[in-house]
Amino acid sequence: MRSIWAVATNTLKQAVRMKIAVVFIILLIVLLPAMGVSMTGDGTLKGRLQTFVSYGFSLTSFLLSLLTIVVSVYSLTSDIQQKQIYTVLTKPIRRFQLLLGKLLGIILLDVALLVLFSAVIYAIIIYTPKFYKASQAERAQLDNEFFTARAGLIPPEVDVKQEADDTYNKLEETGQLPPDVTDNKISRENYKKNLEQSIKLGKRAVAVGHELVWEFHNVKPLDPNQSFFIRFKYDVSVNPPNLQVFSNWFAGDDRQLKYGAKVQTPIYSFERKDLIRTFHEIEVPADCVAEDGYLAVGFFNALLNNTVVIFPPEDGLEVLYKADTFTANFIRAVFLILFRLIFLACLGILASTFLSFPVAVLFCLTIFFTGIISGFCLESFDYLSKNLSSIYSYTVRPIVQLLPQFDKFSPTKFLVPARLLSWSLLAKVAFSLICIKAVLLWLVALLIFSYKEIAKVIV
Amino acid sequence: MEYAIETFSLTKIFSDWWGRDRVYAVDDLNLQIRYNEVFGLLGPNGSGKTTTLKMLLGLLYPTKGKTLCLGGDVANPKISARIGFMPEESYLYRYLNARETLDFYGRLFGLPSKLRKMRIEALLDMVGLKAVANRPIGTFSKGMARRIALAQALINDPDLLMLDEPTTGLDPIGTRQIKDLILHLAKRGKTVLLCSHLLADVEDVCDRIAILYGGKIQSEGKVKELLQQTNKKQIITDYISDTALDKIKQIVRDEQADCVITSPMDKLETFFIRTVTTAQQLSSPTSGAISTTKIGHFLAPQAHPENILDELVSTSVSPEVPSKPPTTKQVIPAETPEPKPDEQLLSKLTEQAGPPESKPVVGTKPVEPQVSRKEDVKKSILDSLTGHSSTQKAGGEQTDKPQAGDSGNA
Repeated sequence: MRSIWAVATNTLKQAVRMKIAVVFIILLIVLLPAMGVSMTGDGTLKGRLQTFVSYGFSLTSFLLSLLTIVVSVYSLTSDIQQKQIYTVLTKPIRRFQLLLGKLLGIILLDVALLVLFSAVIYAIIIYTPKFYKASQAERAQLDNEFFTARAGLIPPEVDVKQEADDTYNKLEETGQLPPDVTDNKISRENYKKNLEQSIKLGKRAVAVGHELVWEFHNVKPLDPNQSFFIRFKYDVSVNPPNLQVFSNWFAGDDRQLKYGAKVQTPIYSFERKDLIRTFHEIEVPADCVAEDGYLAVGFFNALLNNTVVIFPPEDGLEVLYKADTFTANFIRAVFLILFRLIFLACLGILASTFLSFPVAVLFCLTIFFTGIISGFCLESFDYLSKNLSSIYSYTVRPIVQLLPQFDKFSPTKFLVPARLLSWSLLAKVAFSLICIKAVLLWLVALLIFSYKEIAKVIV
Repeated sequence: MEYAIETFSLTKIFSDWWGRDRVYAVDDLNLQIRYNEVFGLLGPNGSGKTTTLKMLLGLLYPTKGKTLCLGGDVANPKISARIGFMPEESYLYRYLNARETLDFYGRLFGLPSKLRKMRIEALLDMVGLKAVANRPIGTFSKGMARRIALAQALINDPDLLMLDEPTTGLDPIGTRQIKDLILHLAKRGKTVLLCSHLLADVEDVCDRIAILYGGKIQSEGKVKELLQQTNKKQIITDYISDTALDKIKQIVRDEQADCVITSPMDKLETFFIRTVTTAQQLSSPTSGAISTTKIGHFLAPQAHPENILDELVSTSVSPEVPSKPPTTKQVIPAETPEPKPDEQLLSKLTEQAGPPESKPVVGTKPVEPQVSRKEDVKKSILDSLTGHSSTQKAGGEQTDKPQAGDSGNA
């Protein structure tokens, strides 16, 4: 353990004294405040902060990623190239201890820099609102939509397969199947899928004078005295006059109504007039959520309307509530970056066990950039290899799956829309990125390094 | 377990990626080095010396055969904790300073911090780099870096010391110091493996040598046996009169033999060391290494027969170590905690110690060093154990110095 620590501190000293880290530190120290001042976003205070968080975090994470790659690769390759490793490995230190020490040193460096820069970003975010004039409404919007960590609940998708089958069978029995199907112009499978689709849409459509109720469970607002938000978007069958829809919304525990008992928690109702095809949010006091986290949200298509209202799938309706504080969310977002850096450090060490400095850096950068666009990569691989499914799924696919998915778990994805980054999600990312992918890299590195002839000259 | 180093038909073949151009760097080498032996591995460039050493240290894997160091595998930390290795060039971290470098290697050995600090100071003192201990190694000259490389190999007080071309880049005093050190270590029962092509160095210190060529041992044996011309004799005397010389010539002629009479030449090495020592005594400033011929006290033969003593000494000696012999008058008052009374004591002591000490330095006649040296060293240990003041110790070390310089001459 003592020798691991010796190597770790030495790696740290190397990074600091060789001025690799200093360049990045200066760059960030200058750039972050400059960005804080110059970024305006859409002009509102919220927009300004959102842009700053987005760019500040992206820049910090990007530069620290580069730094981690360079330092981790340089640390081992320079030892091998300049042969200090001869004097180190002949001391009573096992090779895995040397690699562990290097990794530990890089992680320490990353942690220190990450703490520094996230503190800078945090300070800028917290103090910016104090320096700008903003209306009361703007500040309230900022508190509700930026300085918070909101969890979003989407109504669960209803399984309509059975219903579609039943409908299909009924149609077949009564001979009402469309001629295209009976002539085999459209396959029966496709027709069934279309049926399912339309039934699903039907579940999200509300005719004039009708009501639709969604039930949510596990709604856990942080503070019952605060509000939650119903975020929705309308689609319509016929454009209404002025493109506006009249509606009544209800929110609360509707179970207590059914038994005629005295109402325990309040039920709120809202009369509204909203533009179609844009997002709207209704602020609802959180005390209407039942003790056990049950919440019902009802929509009544007012009789004034002339159209069926449809809530599009995916983002048609969502309940947002404040589940945690901004600070806690911010800290978890920083952890997300740290996990990324640890992965890259392992990658760098792996690369430097068998590659020279420039090649190893190139290798790591390739993996890094692939990780940034991993969603695109995975999709395109899946698409391209549709026809070679079995070969593909046993060869390329597992390897592609091992790529890091930096874009899927980008911290700005959570902080900018003030979405909750829960501990459980963080643990999930840690498990897949560190416990599986990084450890795997490290083990491969160890395997290569253990059997490597250190003094062998490779030209 | 009777050999400190043993190789069994050790072979190393270098070939290119396709397996062509096979070169036998080491070819079926069977080396046996006993405990407490100073063994020299000689050979021209490219004869396989360094390759052998790297295989012994586990930096290269043998194509065929096997090596044993101290009866075990070097990959085992218990074995490598007892080995010191100085590579052919000083592969050190350029951004660390001298003290940090030694501290780093000391920590790799897991030495407790008190012992580590004590040894670092003693080693810095020994290699004469104490004054520049806070400068990064990158700014050191080759020879200075070499000295740190040596210190690095000694920090664990190794049982087996492997030195690869130890004297390249070193000034004659450093060379002499390494040779002295090897002899000291041998006296304490350590084993030393020395790879070199500087024959003079090897000749001075090695018990046994092997000459490698083409990866094979061409000749092996005790240095004396290999070099001694048993059919010739040499007589060295003090100055005697011409008539006495004539008599001797006559006797030799009676034996029907030829004889040549000359005055023995001083070795250039001895002359050089004498000159530099005198300059140091006059306190000429230098930005380089201070040449000392001291041996780190924890490495000196009598300093610690047991490890327990090492610990004991470490507590009492470490604060005294900073006293630097060549510039006694300037340094000691600055470093002792109570300057005024000590200064007076010091000047008295150094005045007294001055005259008898400077004579052997200036005089051309070498003194018999071994006897007085032992007394000095014993005295210093006594001092340290009894916790005597640093002034006395400084005086003791000062007289120690020129004698140590001459000891190689005897």
